Amino acid sequence: MVNLTIDDKQVTAPKNSTIYDAARINGIKIPILCHDKKLKPFGACRMCLVEVEQMRGRQVPACTTPITEGMIIRTSTPDIIKARKMVLELLLLNHPIDCPVCDKGGDCDLQNLTYEYKVNANRFSDEKFHHAIDYSNPLIERDMNRCVLCGKCARICDEIVSFGALTFISRGIETKIGCEFEGSLNCEFCGSCVSVCPVGSLLARPFKFKARFWALTNQKSVCGYCGTGCNLTLGVKDNKVLTTVYDENQGFHNGQLCCRGRFGYQFINSDKRLTTPLVRKNGTLTEASWDEALELVAARLKGAGSSAAALATPRLTNEELVLFKRLMETAGSANYDHSAGYAHAALTEGFAKSFGAAASPATILDIQKSDLLLVIKTDSYETHPVIGFEINMAVKNKGVKLNILSDKRGKLSKLPDAQTLVHTPGSEVAVINALAKTILDDKLAAGTAAAIPGYADLEKALAGFTPEAVAGQSGLSSDAIKRLARDYAAAEKALILFPIGNAYPGHNADLASAVANLALLTGKLGTEGSGVLCMAEKNNSQGAVDMGFYATRGLNAGQIMDGCASGAVKTLFVAGENPVVSYPNRAAISAALDKVEFLVVSDLFMTETAAMADVVLPACSFAEKEGTFTSVDRRVQHIKPAIGKIGQSRTDFEIFGQLIAKLGGQAPATPATVFGEIAASTPGYAGMSYASLGETGAFAQVAVTAAFVVPRTVAVEPAAGKLALVTGSALYHNGTQSQFGEGPMYVCPEGYVELSRTDAARLKIQENDLLNVASAIGSTKLKARITPRMPEGVLFSPYHFGAAGVNQVWGGAPVTWVTVTK
Amino acid sequence: MSEAVAQQAKEQEPEVDLSIADKVIDKYIDLPGNLMPVLQGVQDEYGYVPRKVADYVAERLNVYPSQIYGVLTFYAQFHLKPRGKFIIRVCVGTACHVSGAPRIVETFFDKLHIGHAETTPDLRYTFEKVACLGACGMAPLAMVNDDTFGKMTVQKVDEIIAEYNQRPMK
Repeated sequence: MVNLTIDDKQVTAPKNSTIYDAARINGIKIPILCHDKKLKPFGACRMCLVEVEQMRGRQVPACTTPITEGMIIRTSTPDIIKARKMVLELLLLNHPIDCPVCDKGGDCDLQNLTYEYKVNANRFSDEKFHHAIDYSNPLIERDMNRCVLCGKCARICDEIVSFGALTFISRGIETKIGCEFEGSLNCEFCGSCVSVCPVGSLLARPFKFKARFWALTNQKSVCGYCGTGCNLTLGVKDNKVLTTVYDENQGFHNGQLCCRGRFGYQFINSDKRLTTPLVRKNGTLTEASWDEALELVAARLKGAGSSAAALATPRLTNEELVLFKRLMETAGSANYDHSAGYAHAALTEGFAKSFGAAASPATILDIQKSDLLLVIKTDSYETHPVIGFEINMAVKNKGVKLNILSDKRGKLSKLPDAQTLVHTPGSEVAVINALAKTILDDKLAAGTAAAIPGYADLEKALAGFTPEAVAGQSGLSSDAIKRLARDYAAAEKALILFPIGNAYPGHNADLASAVANLALLTGKLGTEGSGVLCMAEKNNSQGAVDMGFYATRGLNAGQIMDGCASGAVKTLFVAGENPVVSYPNRAAISAALDKVEFLVVSDLFMTETAAMADVVLPACSFAEKEGTFTSVDRRVQHIKPAIGKIGQSRTDFEIFGQLIAKLGGQAPATPATVFGEIAASTPGYAGMSYASLGETGAFAQVAVTAAFVVPRTVAVEPAAGKLALVTGSALYHNGTQSQFGEGPMYVCPEGYVELSRTDAARLKIQENDLLNVASAIGSTKLKARITPRMPEGVLFSPYHFGAAGVNQVWGGAPVTWVTVTK
Repeated sequence: MSEAVAQQAKEQEPEVDLSIADKVIDKYIDLPGNLMPVLQGVQDEYGYVPRKVADYVAERLNVYPSQIYGVLTFYAQFHLKPRGKFIIRVCVGTACHVSGAPRIVETFFDKLHIGHAETTPDLRYTFEKVACLGACGMAPLAMVNDDTFGKMTVQKVDEIIAEYNQRPMK
């Protein structure tokens, strides 16, 4: 700690602090415009000038000057006030005073400072700028006339988002912020630039002219898209979520959000929301009362036994999932599952065997504390963008080494010194086995490894996985495999990350076992900055696993679908899932759902699946309910309703509770009661209560009982003349729900197929050509996107879309062989 | 959509041979801080920095395209539009100004039908007013590429244009 005097007050601050930080932690306010705690010090605006006695009273910027022992600082002498006033006068020289029509009014740093420093006249005069306002996209408006050149937008886009869409253009008085060749924004649309803009230069257009900042009620919540568990502040007015409000002190991510988190909230108040229960009468869904609908469902479920089955989306709260399970048990059925059944296998089978717990023994916070990251598939950025930001910051700010093992390149591959090994699709388990084999052969395994059960079996099973043997099938050089293995083993702290989800069929139990073996072999587990993080797709995927909402005694999702087709399953209750779009092989799923006698769907929207139902129940979004979500790293967070329920919709908690009551069971009254039960019975959740979760949530501990498990590998045989199609997630979407968000649908409105430049040239395909993609099970038409990231012979397509869905050609195999014609 | 706009803008640019850029980039690819020499190199080769080349440099050097544009616009030495084969510079510094440089400038404007920092449609001439070429004793001064013409007169403007009209473009 360093001792110093600020404004005649004796204070201490940690070494390496700046004057600004030292003042802030001691409760002394220094005004800033260009400084942001998440960004590197910049010192552009000169608002934070202070006097330092040791520097002979010179005025220095507080945000860039480090403190020294005994420093005597004055933050608001008459000279300083005068200097700051002049800074404001100079800024206001070019800044238009259009506050009445500026959306930033009330939330504008420049406005607030002008008010605070009473700058009511200007001694200078100059012309205002006449830059054209960029209205070219519906999400972010850029008005460079209001810009104060603090550079925060360009800096955050580089330092955290690592996209670099914005930069300083030109020089001197002509300097402005813009994109290359003065073009329009063509970026990820995460809105980070909007969130940090101190003035009205960058505005969120969906929120424009909706409300004044001070008229909003800020409701804290947790994002309802992916499993990262980002905290959100929803700006609410008149029972409508009008925007997401940036709060730099919120969550581990300091308020940082991705496109769907920041711009995808519109589904909550969408006019497409279901508002009344619907019952199929004479073939058409017609409005009905809740009593009528629930009676019908209860009558079907009563005593149904194993002829009833349930599928839930892992977007439900933990409490709802527990209640749904109880409902099925009351009906006498053990047939329930989520995420298409296979998408949680990495946790429920893989980690359950390798670690003795169906959860990841690492947290998101480990990313920046590690020395080396091994990311399986560049898609980790696409599936969990805010985790991607953590990786960006780890690599760029902390010098963490980044190794990527993927079937294509991606944004992560562009990070400084990132090593990307692009393997042939479907060979990841073999490559990871070869890494383990190298570690064994080079005697790099930790001393503790041999004592872990299954060591001898693993050693034997890996015999065939020499880097040389795997090099052929994976398309990698044996040297590259060896180098990666040695780097991983040599790193003091190493973390492995991989995404799982509905469209990642290859990311299964075997992949989980394979990476677990690596961590166990080298002992990179259980310490800060080390471990394995399996990133499940939806906001409560880990919770669904923790609540045991998957097949243990009954049928899994795949078997339930088969049961529907064969007639063994007569009643299917689907809560929030949209199997028609998100499960593999659309034709088979549609046929199965057609066949099932009675289909109940509770959902927010009339999805493709809901349209086939006999009873549709309008459910509530995350913004209307209470409960807990568990993130990928088992952070349990409490959400409270931000708005009242839309129309007659009810929460799934109420729906399941009322059905349990109708079946003669005893339903718990509130989610809080159920959370109490969860805390008492779920491993790792012991002792948790709403109060103990607080605003930041609490981690459910993962107790590891290690074992080596030999992963199975499936050889992917190339099909002559065909291309390998891999499926996955688009950066802007998550599941099928983001189709109802304005932001995601603007940036990525429809399905597409990405292909390499070489394949495009060979097949004479141009960008945006409509391609017919055909596999053994069907075909669909998708627009072509030609990108340098795809290797030759490999295609990529995201799965989120109802129209022209990729599950019309994809049957659930890790690699689908397809032909592409124009 | 912005992407479509960007795509359109790219398509409107004339075709450029990227293999020339490749040669320049290959030369500096392993050098730390290679952006400036690469940009200077490609400008020497193409005469200016075409957008397609800037984008290509961004891809190969793994630098944001926006950052490259920032550098290109920061330095006056980079040009984003095609330039003439012959760059005519007329000094308008103090010594040249008092010796009649404004009339020389006007005459060039009239004869070439272009203004300051503009290029003739046939890409033969680019005209620039510059502040001091460092040879005040020869005022008023003009330069065509590396050739110097001192004690300029209005008549000499005709002679210079006549002479350089004869020169081959390749």
